[in-house]
Amino acid sequence: MSKDPRIQREEKQLEASLESLIARVAHLKGSLQSFIYKLENEYDRLTWPSVLDNFALLSGQLNTINKLLRNEKTPSYKSQVIIPLLLSPDRDEELAKLTEQRVPVFSHEIVPDHLRTKPDPEVEEQEKHLSAEAARIGPEVAQKQIQALNKLCSNLLEKLNNPRDDRDSETSALRQNKPSFNPADTNALVAAVGFGKGLSKCRPPGPVAPGHPGQPMMPAGPTLQQVTIAGATGHQAGMSGQVPPQQGQPGKMPSNIKTNIKSASASMHPYNR
Amino acid sequence: MEAPPVTVLPVTGGTINMMEYLLQGSVLDVSLESLLHRLRGLCDNMEPESFADHELVYLLKGQQGNPFILRARRSLLLPPSPWHLRYLGQPEVGDKSRHALVRNCVDVAASHSLPEFLNEMGFRMDHEFVAKGQVFRKGAMKVVVSKLSRILVPGNTENTEPLSLSYLVELSVLAPAGQDNVSEDMRSFAEQLKPLVHLEKIDPKRLM
Repeated sequence: MSKDPRIQREEKQLEASLESLIARVAHLKGSLQSFIYKLENEYDRLTWPSVLDNFALLSGQLNTINKLLRNEKTPSYKSQVIIPLLLSPDRDEELAKLTEQRVPVFSHEIVPDHLRTKPDPEVEEQEKHLSAEAARIGPEVAQKQIQALNKLCSNLLEKLNNPRDDRDSETSALRQNKPSFNPADTNALVAAVGFGKGLSKCRPPGPVAPGHPGQPMMPAGPTLQQVTIAGATGHQAGMSGQVPPQQGQPGKMPSNIKTNIKSASASMHPYNR
Repeated sequence: MEAPPVTVLPVTGGTINMMEYLLQGSVLDVSLESLLHRLRGLCDNMEPESFADHELVYLLKGQQGNPFILRARRSLLLPPSPWHLRYLGQPEVGDKSRHALVRNCVDVAASHSLPEFLNEMGFRMDHEFVAKGQVFRKGAMKVVVSKLSRILVPGNTENTEPLSLSYLVELSVLAPAGQDNVSEDMRSFAEQLKPLVHLEKIDPKRLM
């Protein structure tokens, strides 16, 4: 009795699609294997871009499998039933070779795992929950949610695809608004380290008017600022060899200052410089 | 370029005139972390050194003109370490195109009797402050980030108040006189710290 041509065609289709499916799955298995090997043995040399490449490869292969399953020429596998005809606890060499030593025995233990058609109980539970939820909210709300999600995704894509200059100008503008140093502080600190401005016990008088050289500038223990502001002439043995710049006072000091200083130093400092 | 005469020679007999090349700037407290991160990346790879120093500035006024200034520094973190005495000359008024402040520099270590010794010699303490911060190194360049604090009660280093809301940043190199490539290197390093800090040559006389 010859088979119905339609049935024959279906059988042929089934065989063909199964073969291509097996081939695709074999590819996927191969790339998974190499990826796992790389992760286990070359993890210190692995760079993020190459990991991304591997994931992209896997995702591409999964995509082709999906396309294959969705293909119209593929018969619905749900209508096929697999029934184990013989279960034995003995080792089956053929099976072991076929499965690369992963399934050496076709016994009662492996059948529930390998010939499973229903998802795991937890997964089933979650799916039931999700479909109940979906049924509950109603079609309009669902549509609105879908639209909101689509809009978010397109916004994000737009932001990511736009040229980088827009983003850079924004961030640089933000950065300029927050100065990280204060020039007045710089001056205050340098003055403090340089000559003790703001640190002296005698409060600094500020820049003394240069037109008062005749004032006796010799209270006991003159501060650094008062003496340096009064300006100086000439070379001083023991001082650094530079003539410090005058403060806009080209005229020479009158001699009374000199005498004052001399007298003060003679009494205070037995070691003349 | 001839070195300026240094009339204070150490007892051990002549030495090379060392000049200090200096660039100064400041950074606000809030931006300190970013500056420290950048310095850790740019400078030599070592744990950044923290320091807390108490500096006293001594003055010896001579017969006329500028008094002689000596700076004595001691560590508050490591009290047994010796005092550090430093003389800094006037900044060289060389060509304006030089990028760093250059001044003569003499450094010596001293024992713990330094303050009494200076007092006996006739020096009087003019002012003191506490500096706390970190030191970074890159080759010969040294970057010091420090917080200056005013001492409220003379001699009491516990009771201090900060001078400002900023940290002082100083980039310095100690080199023999006459090496102008040093200031070039300093300038290119300072470029890398912009815009966080602007390190520049600041003449202290301008700020009086």
